Amino acid sequence: MDDLLQEFLAETAESLAVLDVELVRFERETSDATILSNIFRLMHTIKGTCGFLGLPRLGAVAHAGENILGKFRDGELEVTPRAVTLILKAIDQIRSLLAEMEATGAEPTGSDEALIAEINALAGGAGAQALEAVPTTIAGPSLSEDGFPVAAELLAEVAEALEHQNMVRPEPHLPEPAHLGEPPAPVHAPEPAPAASAAPKESEAKEPATAASSIRVNVDVIENLMTLISELVLTRNQLLQTQRVQKDNEFKVPLQRLSHITSDLQDGVTRMRMQPIGNAWNKLPRIVRDLAVATGKKIELTMQGADTELDRQVLEMIKDPLTHMVRNSADHGIEDGAHRLAAGKPETGTIALNAYHESGHIFIRIADDGRGLDLERIRQKAITNGLAPEATISGMSEQQILQFIFRPGFSTAEKVTSVSGRGVGMDVVRTNIERIGGTIELSSVVGKGTTFLIKIPLTLAIVSALIVEASQQRFAIPQLNVVELVGVSDRSEARIETINTSPVLRLRDRLLPLVSLRDVLGLEPCENRDRFVVVAQVGAHTFGIIVDRVFDTEEIVVKPVAPILRGTRFYVGNTILGDGSVIMILDPNGLSGAAGKIKSADADAGQAKAGTSDAQAADQTSFLLFRTGGGELKAIPLELVSRIESFDARAIEHVDGREAIQYRDHLMPLVPFSAAHQWKESGKQETLVFSDNGRSMGLVVDEVVDIVRDRMAIELTSGRHGLLGSAIIAGKAVDVVDIGHFLTQAFTDWFEMNAMHQPARNLLLVDDSPFFRNLLVPLLASANWKVTTAADGIEALRLRDQGHQFDVIISDIEMPNMDGLTLAGAIRSDPRWSAVPLIALSSHTEENDITAGRSAGFDEYLAKSDQTRLSENLARAVRLASARNQDQTELRRAS
Amino acid sequence: MSKQRALCLVVDDSRVIRRMAADILASLGLRAAEAEHGLAAVEFCRRTVPDFVLLDWNMPEMDGITCLRAMRAMDLKPRPIVVMCTTENGLAKIREALQAGADEYIMKPYDREVLFDKLAQVGLVERA
Repeated sequence: MDDLLQEFLAETAESLAVLDVELVRFERETSDATILSNIFRLMHTIKGTCGFLGLPRLGAVAHAGENILGKFRDGELEVTPRAVTLILKAIDQIRSLLAEMEATGAEPTGSDEALIAEINALAGGAGAQALEAVPTTIAGPSLSEDGFPVAAELLAEVAEALEHQNMVRPEPHLPEPAHLGEPPAPVHAPEPAPAASAAPKESEAKEPATAASSIRVNVDVIENLMTLISELVLTRNQLLQTQRVQKDNEFKVPLQRLSHITSDLQDGVTRMRMQPIGNAWNKLPRIVRDLAVATGKKIELTMQGADTELDRQVLEMIKDPLTHMVRNSADHGIEDGAHRLAAGKPETGTIALNAYHESGHIFIRIADDGRGLDLERIRQKAITNGLAPEATISGMSEQQILQFIFRPGFSTAEKVTSVSGRGVGMDVVRTNIERIGGTIELSSVVGKGTTFLIKIPLTLAIVSALIVEASQQRFAIPQLNVVELVGVSDRSEARIETINTSPVLRLRDRLLPLVSLRDVLGLEPCENRDRFVVVAQVGAHTFGIIVDRVFDTEEIVVKPVAPILRGTRFYVGNTILGDGSVIMILDPNGLSGAAGKIKSADADAGQAKAGTSDAQAADQTSFLLFRTGGGELKAIPLELVSRIESFDARAIEHVDGREAIQYRDHLMPLVPFSAAHQWKESGKQETLVFSDNGRSMGLVVDEVVDIVRDRMAIELTSGRHGLLGSAIIAGKAVDVVDIGHFLTQAFTDWFEMNAMHQPARNLLLVDDSPFFRNLLVPLLASANWKVTTAADGIEALRLRDQGHQFDVIISDIEMPNMDGLTLAGAIRSDPRWSAVPLIALSSHTEENDITAGRSAGFDEYLAKSDQTRLSENLARAVRLASARNQDQTELRRAS
Repeated sequence: MSKQRALCLVVDDSRVIRRMAADILASLGLRAAEAEHGLAAVEFCRRTVPDFVLLDWNMPEMDGITCLRAMRAMDLKPRPIVVMCTTENGLAKIREALQAGADEYIMKPYDREVLFDKLAQVGLVERA
């Protein structure tokens, strides 16, 4: 019975998917009897099959659903959204029961009485409607059309069966045909039962019917077949390669034939793996319908090209992104009816899905006729979130600005609704699509709507890859990840430099972190001076891979990585090249980890900054070590530095006792570390560039020494201007530079524009890191805050007990004794501080961290890594947090 | 012909039920063919006349009763025995089926025993 159950699960899942779609259609076209009868039949079949398999619980739910549908059909019940919702609920329940059955192999125990009661109540309290009164008058024998006498006892049997509630128990019948007079029916004596059951079923027991034009095949079988075909293709390629170098021989013709057949076979099997994209769309009408009901909008979802087929693997990958985008359109894109009417649009919004094949790719278009993306809001948001400097953004085209919505952590929704606030952003959508070699384009017209166009390859099994060599071994890098190739040698302009032990490449103003394939894979060293850097991109991270040689690109068949190599994170699989050699396919994702994650959030502005998002090193910071003005080594958190520039000393202008340089069409002030600085007459002047609010300032230094990652604790606080204090970094004593001091030197009003010309207000800063406290206090103080600090949650709450009051609280998340989330909970649950705006400041800025922070009670969430714009962001966050906090407080009061 | 085992056509829109019925029929030493709805069943009968048809009522494309009428109208030789399946609790329906030319009816859900009884009743199998 087991595989029958399996079959049942598959069949019912299909039926449920159709039910979802049809019900939503039916709700709109309640008069369409065809849809209704189809719905009824599906539900009926589920119920019926449950009876066969002995699944009473499932059957009962299906029965209740069928009950209402029957009433719809007979016109006894009006089709209301509530009724449809109830049926959908029943479907959901069936689905969840199926899921459990799939896991356990048996119908779960329990009862769905509540749901069934609710449904029956709607059906008019007719819970027992299933058993209608059995007609008492039974007609005598009658004649069928063919003149067959219809035995009265048959009807009697029916009546009796009905009393037995559906289940017919066999009664003793005469063995001979009772009423088969003429023409003699072809009655055959059955073979002895044992022989029959021993007979092979496939060949004899079943005869293919015309109806059975399709068969179900286990996915594994097809996958296996695909693997075999891949092998075959590779062998064919090998043979062709051999043939090429040899003179004409008798193999040539058959080999060509083999080649053609292999190609056809490959096509055929690829097609077997294809599934209509409609499978990924099944859930959508239901989602849109539920959303429309929840938001009170009217939305129509149209779908075209649902039968467009694509590889099932690809299909799986795009399912969620598609769902997310449709959900977004319905939630944010489509306006409510009143707004639409006011804008002169039809009250019902439309989301149109369209899929089609074109030149070896699948195109999926998702278009809504909603309000379109708000360019201004995206621009603001990009500035607020520090995605790019304001100056850069102001010079961007509309299309460039629209691209910001694909950035991590970006969400245009003003309010996080129950629908779209699920921690999945468009960045995840883009990542998923890019992972399968697809691209996503976006166009939007304000007031007219938004259109996304997704382009994805038909299959994943064969990819284009760049073949490279390191230490005489060849590797494949998926072409998809390769951005560009740079030849490097001691003679060329592009040189691999080493900062500490980490290799980097200066590439068009960007510091590109590198990973040497040879080192990372532990290969033999070799004497090659001329090398190549493969610039690769994984999501938003860009890095370089150092290789010895670069060959060409090849279409390769991806074979899964052997289990024994699964532990290494550098390979995604292997492949066999045309010449028969087996080579490994590198995983750029794993390699990027080895290169250190690089945030290129500012890639558009031509900047790259070393990030601090390595999970195990979350409490570590990257420091730039440099020498200037004599004395100790100086250090500054790398995040603060926008760029390291090397200026021609002759280009430095000395104006009015201050130094400046033409930089990116602006005059950028240069500030020396000490007033006694001797300006160079010629040569290069190393300069650290700091940017904020579209303005830049350069701190001139003598020499950039190193970039190190370390946990920093300031040991000695300094009385000297320009220094926060001394610390031990990477075993060396260094002076930590207070960049705020130099910023004010360059722009006397640097902080004034952030300070809101208000009397000093009280701020509580909770952070376990003395370094951050020391860094932030002067920043905040210059922004007109009176700052009190606490090292952890306990200390903060102690301040509360002592009766302190603050206008705003900023807290780290990860702290000893009591962490930020717990602190937020404690603050929110006690009236003394419950109305204080609360801002989280953390190095963890994944979506789910932010969600967790928000649900713990934080009003705003700021990234620690974003210190370039921290002061400004803080000011903004305080404003936002205050506003949100006020809303929340009012809400709490109201409820 | 007489040596060949009886051919049964199972007409049901549920794969699960078709398969189950076919398995039972096979275990009883009969040959089974499947059709997913009335139209497919009629189509099948045009090419091969089954000895026995197990016909569901509610199906897409063409329902059981229409299928039954169509089959009877085709005047197939030899005339197949048709057993209508139903879960509908209506006597009227069964009468309608019988009048349309069904030889027997069977109430869903049925099991091996019930089906065996029906088959024995119409003489396709012998009781042991």
